[in-house]
Amino acid sequence: MNIVSSNPFSILAETVPPVAMQAFVFLMLAFVVFGTLLDIIHKKNVKYFFNNAKKAKKFATRELSSGEKFAIVSKTVAYDIGTTSELGAGKRRIAHLLGMYGTILFWVGSVVMVFCYSSVDAETPRLWPMIWHAGALMTVLGGSWFWFFLRVDVYSEAQPWYRIIKADLFVLALIATSLTGLIWSYLQNLELGDRWDDKVFLVLFVISNFVLFGGVYWSKFAHMFYKPGAAIQKNLAEADGSRDNLPPPADAPEQFGLGIKREAPKHY
Amino acid sequence: MSTFVYMTRCDGCGHCVDICPSDIMHIDETIRRAKNIEPNFCWECYSCVKACPNHAIDVRGYADFAPMGHSVRVRREEEKGTISWRIKFRNGTEKNFVSPITTKPWGKFIPKLAEKDKPNQGEINSQILYNEPHGLNTDKDLPTLNKDSFKKGVYY
Amino acid sequence: MPKNKTVFEECDVLVVGGGMAGTGATFEARHWGRDLKIICVEKANIDRSGAVAQGLYAINCYMGMQWGENQPEDHVRYARNDLMGLVREDLGYDMARHVDSTVHMFDEWGLPMMKNKETGRYQREGKWQIMIHGESYKPIVAEAAKKSADKIYNRIMITHLLKDESKQNRIAGAVGFNMRTGDYHVFKAKTVIVAAGGASHIFKPRAVGEGMGRTWYAPWSNGSAYALPIAAGAKMTQMENRIVLCRFKDGYGPVGAYFLHLKTYTQNANGENYEKKWYEATKKLVGEYIDHHPVPTCLRNHAFIQEVAAGGGPIHMVTKEAFQDPHLETVGWENFLGMTVGQAVVWASQNIDPKYTNPELTTSEPYVMGSHATCSGAWVSGPEDIAPSEYFWGYNRMTTIEGLFGAGDTVGGSAHKFSSGSFTEGRLAAKAAVKYIQDKKANGIEVTDKQYNNLKEVIYKPMENYTVGRNEITGGTVSPSYISPIQGLQRLQKIMDEYCGGITNNYMTNDNLLKKGLEQLGLLQEDLENVGAEDYHQLMRAWELKHRALTSQCVTEHTLFREETRWPGYYYRGDHMKLDDDNWHCLTTSERNPETGKFSMEKQPVYHIVDEKDKKKAS
Repeated sequence: MNIVSSNPFSILAETVPPVAMQAFVFLMLAFVVFGTLLDIIHKKNVKYFFNNAKKAKKFATRELSSGEKFAIVSKTVAYDIGTTSELGAGKRRIAHLLGMYGTILFWVGSVVMVFCYSSVDAETPRLWPMIWHAGALMTVLGGSWFWFFLRVDVYSEAQPWYRIIKADLFVLALIATSLTGLIWSYLQNLELGDRWDDKVFLVLFVISNFVLFGGVYWSKFAHMFYKPGAAIQKNLAEADGSRDNLPPPADAPEQFGLGIKREAPKHY
Repeated sequence: MSTFVYMTRCDGCGHCVDICPSDIMHIDETIRRAKNIEPNFCWECYSCVKACPNHAIDVRGYADFAPMGHSVRVRREEEKGTISWRIKFRNGTEKNFVSPITTKPWGKFIPKLAEKDKPNQGEINSQILYNEPHGLNTDKDLPTLNKDSFKKGVYY
Repeated sequence: MPKNKTVFEECDVLVVGGGMAGTGATFEARHWGRDLKIICVEKANIDRSGAVAQGLYAINCYMGMQWGENQPEDHVRYARNDLMGLVREDLGYDMARHVDSTVHMFDEWGLPMMKNKETGRYQREGKWQIMIHGESYKPIVAEAAKKSADKIYNRIMITHLLKDESKQNRIAGAVGFNMRTGDYHVFKAKTVIVAAGGASHIFKPRAVGEGMGRTWYAPWSNGSAYALPIAAGAKMTQMENRIVLCRFKDGYGPVGAYFLHLKTYTQNANGENYEKKWYEATKKLVGEYIDHHPVPTCLRNHAFIQEVAAGGGPIHMVTKEAFQDPHLETVGWENFLGMTVGQAVVWASQNIDPKYTNPELTTSEPYVMGSHATCSGAWVSGPEDIAPSEYFWGYNRMTTIEGLFGAGDTVGGSAHKFSSGSFTEGRLAAKAAVKYIQDKKANGIEVTDKQYNNLKEVIYKPMENYTVGRNEITGGTVSPSYISPIQGLQRLQKIMDEYCGGITNNYMTNDNLLKKGLEQLGLLQEDLENVGAEDYHQLMRAWELKHRALTSQCVTEHTLFREETRWPGYYYRGDHMKLDDDNWHCLTTSERNPETGKFSMEKQPVYHIVDEKDKKKAS
């Protein structure tokens, strides 16, 4: 059977009841909600965010209509968030997009297959396993590209590539879930019976999901919620003139090219 | 003083780490974003502030002598050849300034000396430097003095 | 910690330091040495390193010979006058005759120079200064250096020079470490041009918390300009000639444009012109020097210091009149934004608007440097065509060590160079270095691995000290077996402040204090063997401290040697409270024995450019 079109969850249903898989998904979701809420309550970051937005509004030079606000929010979601524009042009952005969309596809594919097609005799449309496997592969590629080559502490600070810091918790757990998921799906397809590696990667897949979702309070996971909020606030501030106290862009033609900004931040 | 980095704006690109003349902008190990590790060696040169593509770095005057509530922010636009400043006093007074930072495309009129005319034979023994005496714009030779004009043991 | 890799590089011209002088040297070297290998090594990132990181609002050294504005000998007279007679007039003339071509190149390269609307000439701020929009001054000149060099090494701090083992007293290169990768770098070079920074932070600054970062001269100028040649045994000059600056309070923002372009003036707290009050007393100290025009900088400082000590402070600059003119107001603010942004921050934080408030001034702690209104540095040969024979030994800007050249802060005796003059001096040193190589003076240099392997151990020792010593304590910053770089720095600053004429004693010192200071510095030098560095950034701070400590010893020895008060307003010798032209109208030089660490001092004659009819015999 072609691995890419086979639903690993319906094969798993031969030994694990679908309701257990679904409960697992709910548990992971609960971890995210609980971890994020705990982070928000403990750090009071949302309180800061709204206080700051209120303070900034005092410096607005114009009032935005709700139509304008809606347009700005929509554009921010579609462009700034949807294309990770804050990373500028280059490898970091591409790697992030690979990882971001890969993860979205992987999670959506997981939820759909676990809730709709996880019984043993399910007839899974080819689309979903393809999305699931593609998403996992994109996440592994984007995440690994970032982790091995693009981490700023390695690239600009010359820290050794094998140094693992707390900030790596999220990205490494993410790569782990996708990688172990892919290997699990591949080995499961080979129908190894009771060979020693038959269940190993399923177990690793489960553990890495616990680490990824359970670690929300300690990792950068929740930043995927904060950053979009920050992007929206920034664009609204740019539009209403408060602009975080920054001067406006100069009214002059772009005629001189780039100077020191043309080079990557790696001068050692 | 010192620079600080806004959590909501920094995405860990490393430009500040790369440019800081004092080597004090470094990457935090918990969130992989920039921070100032040694504010007492910060000169407020604004190199990092200008280099940040997301305007994520700002300055808070030195705590020993700068009351709070002020803001001096900058936008350096290389392609336009401009630098724009917005100053906000603690009492709300605001001042804005825009200045040029270059008159020519960056680097275009800076010569690669390896490709320019070589010095003539014997010029190494003279006193002229590259593009002299022409570059002095005086239509004269490089000024010089008679060694006898130097007097020891006298006042002036 | 993995063992540090050693990286070797061989080159013909090694420029240590990528500031104004270093970029000038790197740029010019290529013109004269087309086939030579030219390397520049910079402690930070050459695009924004050095004193010009934030930019400059004026070029303070431009003759304007093309418009008949000034001639080089005019500048020599100006510099000599400002330094109370004690400069190397050959070096000053040499720099001044070339500086215009440097400035014209900057204009061609894209540096925005302000123009006088009527005459079309560069807008003068004062007799020697022209105004620029120089926020990107450093990136522009860095680009020029990059185009000439074979390679620019960034984030490498050069800690020691290498000496030739086959011929006495000849340079062989330099060593240092990369503060990102931790690698050890050995540069074997036929010539070395030291163009590193002068010394800030050797005296206790007025702000000692976070505010210690706001020094007038960059905090990353750690005196490598001096420590490198001193440690190699080169002769140094005028190291006692430290500078004190009268600038805006706390931010140390520049006052040049204010005095010269905005035509502001100073007053004491009662609105009096206080300078006149101190004329008689100053005349008793320095004689006719007070009558020279313009009044030497140190004497203006002196009046300021006396006035404040007598209770007339705070002294302020009267700006309310000038700032009513919107053009002058713009100049007043942009003057800071393009050069010392911190001053704008101070005023914004304290609600100081010069239109309505006259801002306070203060005098800074002392700095030691060679490119501004003072001229401490290495004793170098002058140019062949004009230097008196006592000032010339083969190659322009070469120190007393063969093949070791200096430019910028590194060179002593050539004052009032500023940015353009330092770049120019770099160009002069580079040409001479190439000539030295072409004359085959650099043939047969030998360096054995013993020399650089020993240095490798010395360089990384602070990290060893920390790692091993850290086992003794549970945690925190207090250890009985090592000190951190900041702890050592604060101790050094306190010693220099209290014994060598810092702000605490109103710049006063004397024979007893200086000798005590040398004792304390000696103890500190011993303890510097036990500096502990936690990481490569701290290792860099440790070596900055070591360079500062060595510079400080030299400064104190010189201050002890010169038995007079030559520059009241910069410092005072309480036991010799008078200018003494009979005995001390001379330059001081020192040489430190690399084995014993002892300094031996000498006097050197001063030559003045004088027309027969103008000269006055020394009495």
